[in-house]
Amino acid sequence: MTAALAIHNAAVEGRMRPVSLELPAGKVVGLVGPNGSGKSTLLQVAAGLLDTEGTVAWAGRPIDEIPILERGRMATWVPQEAHFEFGFPVRSVIAQARFAHGDDGDGVEEALDRFDLRPLADRPVNRLSGGEKMRVLLARAWTTRAPLQLWDEPLAPLDVRHALEILMLAREIADVGSTVVLSLHDLRTAHCLDLVCVMDRGELRAIGKPDDVLTPDLLLDVFGVRARTAPGMILELPQTTLNSR
Amino acid sequence: MTPRRQRLALPLAGAGLVGLVILSLAVGDLHLGPGRILAGLRGTDELAATILWQIRIPRLLVAMLVGASLAASGVVMQAYFRNHLASPGLLGVSAGGTAGAVVAIGFGLAGVSLFLMPVAAVCGALASTGAVLILARRGASTERLLLAGVALNALLGAVTSYVLSSFTLTYERNAQILFWMLGGLEDRTWEHVAMASPIALGAIALWPLGRPMDLLSLGAKEAQSLGVDVRRLRRIMLGLATVLTALATAVAGTVGFVGLVVPHLLRMLVGPEHKRLIPVALIGGAAFVLACDLVARSVGGLRLGIVTSLIGGPFFLWLLRRQR
Repeated sequence: MTAALAIHNAAVEGRMRPVSLELPAGKVVGLVGPNGSGKSTLLQVAAGLLDTEGTVAWAGRPIDEIPILERGRMATWVPQEAHFEFGFPVRSVIAQARFAHGDDGDGVEEALDRFDLRPLADRPVNRLSGGEKMRVLLARAWTTRAPLQLWDEPLAPLDVRHALEILMLAREIADVGSTVVLSLHDLRTAHCLDLVCVMDRGELRAIGKPDDVLTPDLLLDVFGVRARTAPGMILELPQTTLNSR
Repeated sequence: MTPRRQRLALPLAGAGLVGLVILSLAVGDLHLGPGRILAGLRGTDELAATILWQIRIPRLLVAMLVGASLAASGVVMQAYFRNHLASPGLLGVSAGGTAGAVVAIGFGLAGVSLFLMPVAAVCGALASTGAVLILARRGASTERLLLAGVALNALLGAVTSYVLSSFTLTYERNAQILFWMLGGLEDRTWEHVAMASPIALGAIALWPLGRPMDLLSLGAKEAQSLGVDVRRLRRIMLGLATVLTALATAVAGTVGFVGLVVPHLLRMLVGPEHKRLIPVALIGGAAFVLACDLVARSVGGLRLGIVTSLIGGPFFLWLLRRQR
């Protein structure tokens, strides 16, 4: 089976040493690592937004050979933080997802409901809170229907319910064959992931199933924290439980 | 921002422009009534025909082209830099055009051919666009952009002043240079209309860029990820904005603040979507400059550049206050 995302020897001067990895389709993949470890850089390399020496391929096709418009249908990237200078209404920002589909407007109304944005649909996007802006960005990414979704710290600005809903949504898209790669800081969310990539000082340190990778030794070495299992509060959506397959 | 307001904006701007055109034909040293205007346009009233065809029509055409081009470059630069305050005047692109034009006059190039002026203006404007790009990268903060503009405007102003002071003996050239520095539409001829006419082509070239510009104005990497060829789009945008500004400067001198005031007001009216904003800004810019020129014509001692700055300066201060 061809990898949904294959990166070979991609490096970015001063930010990331050569990284190679292959991710299968239909997985929710977490990207973890301390601040400045290269998570955002790796995501942008994967999205084809940074020039690198190595190669990046989506579904077996080197991205250099894919026309830019078609790239907009194959993969999408969500920035860590949005800088909306102009007051486009929320609905029209989401509709931008369909640029590469001839602006057909498909799925925009559905996205408003899925991301709890219906009440904000006509509000100018530059007046929203940080969490609301992130939901708009995620709604736009989702509306592209691109099979490779690359999200840079989508959960950081969200409240706990919306964060859980985004994880559930990631699982849902992965179940129909897409690949979701998201960087995150809260390692307690790791049980929702199929795979974890650990970045440390610009290098890919480990990749594998969360339980295999996030060992106490690695956590101490990479993050400088001691991991301990203890009874604590578990938060979940009332109607579902989140489990990795 | 209601949909109704958005729908009405274009017809209203169009109607306003037609009204201003009629007013521009009527008002002047010799006021012409509707009957004489019609007779003049048909050529049956010889005096009216001369006034209209030789003086007022070229002047109003140049005014409209200048307004449309400056407003359009404002829209493009604001989308490019993702900043409300980016405009050809503040960033020093207009000053670059002026410096180019002034150097051309100073060295007598403008005497060789009238059309060397716009070429020199385009060169000057391109040079300052390049400098802005180096000084303030895309998505730069307002402070950085404005500081880059301040520095460039000062530098180019010095070039212009130097040319002015080193040609003190030739009165005629100095008067010509002053004309460019103050910005005005006195004695514009059909040659100037021809010189400014590529502006219309630039406006047409802008049309299909509206949609990708929407995406770019909310973030370059995001736009690229959604399928916009950002590198190519940016090249075209910057080239168009620079050439449009330079042509306007070549025929009318430095006319400040149009590229800042018009897009901003119209964005408040029709929203930020460029497909709607671009046509309204073209018409609105033409109407704004025409109106300012009417004021300049009616009040002794005033010139177009002075009027736009008298309106634009306070507006800019208000904008800065509002941004906090």
